[in-house]
Amino acid sequence: MAGVWILADNHDQILELLAAGRSLADDIGMGLHLLLWDREEKSGEYFSYGADEIILLPALADGQPLSVYIPLIAEEAAREKPEVFLIGGSNRCKELAARIATRLETGLCSECTAFHFNQDLKRLEMERMIYGGVGVQTVASTSKPQMATIPPRTFSPGSPLEGREGKTREITGALETPVRVLEKKAKSKEQVNIREAKVVVCVGRGLENEEDLQLARELAEVLGGEVACTRPIAEELHWLPEETYIGLSGQVIKPHLYIGIGVSGQIQHTVGIRDAKTVIAINRDENAAIFEVADYGIIGDLYEVVPQLTRAIKEKVKS
Amino acid sequence: MPRIITCFKWVVDQADIRVVPGTDELSLDRVGYRISEYDRNCLEEGARLKEQYGGEVVGLTVGIPGAKKSIKDALSRGPEKAYFVTDPSFSNLEPGQTAAIMAAAISSQIEYDLIICGEGSGDLYAQQVGPRLAEMLGIPCAVFVNKIEIKEKEAIVECKVEDGVEVLALPLPALITVLPDINTPRVPGLKDTLAAGKKPVEEITLQDLNKSFDPYLETLNVRATSMERTCEKMDAGSEGIAKMVAVLTKAGVIS
Ligand SMILES: Cc1cc2nc3c(=O)[nH]c(=O)nc-3n(C[C@H](O)[C@H](O)[C@H](O)COP(=O)(O)OP(=O)(O)OC[C@H]3O[C@@H](n4cnc5c(N)ncnc54)[C@H](O)[C@@H]3O)c2cc1C
Repeated sequence: MAGVWILADNHDQILELLAAGRSLADDIGMGLHLLLWDREEKSGEYFSYGADEIILLPALADGQPLSVYIPLIAEEAAREKPEVFLIGGSNRCKELAARIATRLETGLCSECTAFHFNQDLKRLEMERMIYGGVGVQTVASTSKPQMATIPPRTFSPGSPLEGREGKTREITGALETPVRVLEKKAKSKEQVNIREAKVVVCVGRGLENEEDLQLARELAEVLGGEVACTRPIAEELHWLPEETYIGLSGQVIKPHLYIGIGVSGQIQHTVGIRDAKTVIAINRDENAAIFEVADYGIIGDLYEVVPQLTRAIKEKVKS
Repeated sequence: MPRIITCFKWVVDQADIRVVPGTDELSLDRVGYRISEYDRNCLEEGARLKEQYGGEVVGLTVGIPGAKKSIKDALSRGPEKAYFVTDPSFSNLEPGQTAAIMAAAISSQIEYDLIICGEGSGDLYAQQVGPRLAEMLGIPCAVFVNKIEIKEKEAIVECKVEDGVEVLALPLPALITVLPDINTPRVPGLKDTLAAGKKPVEEITLQDLNKSFDPYLETLNVRATSMERTCEKMDAGSEGIAKMVAVLTKAGVIS
């Protein structure tokens, strides 16, 4: 039956993949099939966003991890032979994708940021970053399905088409795994949204203490911006929520202005600010890599420069 | 007492990669190599678990003969022995191949209760080798883990997921991929380096594995990504600050 298959573990990404999958399915001239396990979702909505078919998986039993679906999905794919299989890039789904690809003996383009269907060669050409973001590699799969994981927010969700319909097919099978989910700890929802912010003040490990975040907060405040950070600040020091770190494995942002303070500017970080309109860096090391990707840089100690800058901006605003 | 395999990869140091002037080609002519950043957390976690629970830790890497240089470094970070699976054709392997080679090597001669891999490698960062390897070996797996405990015949792990943390119990043998915040890798001292030189290294060749490992992906091209910036530097001090305020005003962020 072939077709384009999509799978994601959250509503927003399902809509993003439906939009990207729909236009790809049209290019290839095939149907769009959504794998789904959540029965509470209104499937009608997914039809209106472009799905031709929903393949409904059995419900998870208590304590079963998502990975329990791997054998079932792989068997169904072996039978139905999808042409393309796009999977959302959440942590759980990345595991699913790699293990399903292994079972299907096919390739997987991880963290695919763009793709294009080559009509002459009838293949999907997929782009992804390598070497921390220094390069972009384009790959094609020589085996089927042609698989990719897609980072969240790579594609915009489409708009619903009233009255568009599709059919639902349930698949059954035993769900068995030796792995047990003992506990799920939800994290408190932070209300920061650095992706929407026009001005982002980003702190790096140049900051010595957590209290010193105040310096960044004050600067962000006078500029009407948000405070973001590098990966180690969020993941190692836990000074700021994980949603606020920028880069290859974090957020990609497009603000009017980015100010990096005490940020070294490793490529894995700066790929996240490639589309910032203006980049400013404050670092005491004149050879820091951040200066090579900044429009303007101040060489100096952030503990002196930042308060001065904040004060100067305040004065300017007042005048 | 767990027998642990810690996996590591010898990768190009991306800081040494240059863009060929006037082109969008990358030059890897002058690059240095090192153990992939997150594999240091993997090696450290193996060493830490051994300190806590006893047992033994070995290291495993797949690479071209030149990757041998990584082994002493890896051995100075904890493992008692290293397995080096090597062949001149093992350059630019894709994750599916690396995992298949590791699976073949492990099945042929390494006994284990737990395999630890880094979250992803510093060069490709495909985050596939761990889960693919688990699938090939037919063992349970947990990815993006930032805490491991071993209880009886199970590993209790905390996995980072988008909406929080998922605590999983995996019966051993199992595979775990670890995040960089799981630990702080120790810096090997002179003693560790000297000891590393005396630890055994087992070489496993392609002939030993007696199998072929074909790619699934074809690389069509690799281009440099570019970032065009003004790159104007100024000194700290009132002049620099005044200039910066002017820049900010021009950027329209202060009025
Ligand atoms: C596969 C992979 C993925 C990664 N993904 C990401 C990612 O998504 N995002 C990310 O951010 N990182 C990521 N990293 C990590 C990245 O490589 C860097 O290690 C990290 O970005 C460095 O953070 P930093 O700039 O805060 O710290 P450092 O590199 O430690 O830099 C601190 C800087 O502060 C300066 N400084 C110190 N004191 C002062 C002072 N008083 N005044 C002024 N300047 C001062 C120093 O000169 C230095 O330049 C990834 C790494 C790998 C291997």
